[in-house]
Amino acid sequence: MIRKNSAAERHVTDLGWLRSLPLYSFGDYQDDSRTGFGVMRVCNDDYVAPGRGFGAHPHSDMEIVSIVLKGRIRHEDNLGNVVVSGFGEVQRMSAGSGVIHTEFNDSSEEELRLLQLWFMPRERGMKPSYEAKAYAPSRLDGALLPVVSSHPGESGAALIHQDLTIYLGKLAANESLTY
Amino acid sequence: MKQTLLIKHAVSGRLFYDSRKSEIRYAVGEADGGWMFRIETERDQTVEELLKRKDELNVFIFREYDDQPTLKTWYYVGNGPVQYDDKQSLLTIYAGSRIEYYPHEYSE
Repeated sequence: MIRKNSAAERHVTDLGWLRSLPLYSFGDYQDDSRTGFGVMRVCNDDYVAPGRGFGAHPHSDMEIVSIVLKGRIRHEDNLGNVVVSGFGEVQRMSAGSGVIHTEFNDSSEEELRLLQLWFMPRERGMKPSYEAKAYAPSRLDGALLPVVSSHPGESGAALIHQDLTIYLGKLAANESLTY
Repeated sequence: MKQTLLIKHAVSGRLFYDSRKSEIRYAVGEADGGWMFRIETERDQTVEELLKRKDELNVFIFREYDDQPTLKTWYYVGNGPVQYDDKQSLLTIYAGSRIEYYPHEYSE
């Protein structure tokens, strides 16, 4: 079944430092009829106040993609990765058998807006891994650009351990794309 | 030292047990190369909801000290097993590995 979810009907979590619009059950939003779509389990549209973020916490058996739409995010994990990403960059973390990480707005002035997308992995118990990839924002204009893929090849997309591809695109008013 | 047991759904964050909020009769110890949690509880709604999500659990032990930073231990349950024994009113959760971490060691 495919159900259209309008932006207006999305739940809004407002913690002061975080305004989050989850599409599926997450945090204070619990709806047993909305727990994911296929392998996608979390789809959060997050707005994080300057200098604030998510303290150290674990993940396991989940492919976690962070797409920055505005501002800069700083990721740090127990694998030794410390990476700051902005618009035009994508982070992918394969939690596998367990990873501890933090995510913070790296700016003391600008709000961070990011999409947090979680997918079930192809297999459980994998070795945890992380990567960040960059793309030229101009390539989004009137096109669908693969930014995360199970077969990234030469596309420059980040590798994900699940049979899916995430495309980003930017369309002008009344512009359309055929896929 | 104050010890807290916390069990949540790893995806949605739904809380199942928090020993800070209600008394929980539990024990944790090494077993079969991992760790076994034994929680004494009647089969109630919480048990039912947890068992539905037994493949996606986040299990923590927090140790808070007066003279040193809080140590958090996260247990990787993976495929468990996670079981409930009606005869003993006992919920058991097996974790094959764990990660200990000090939250203050991560920059904010």
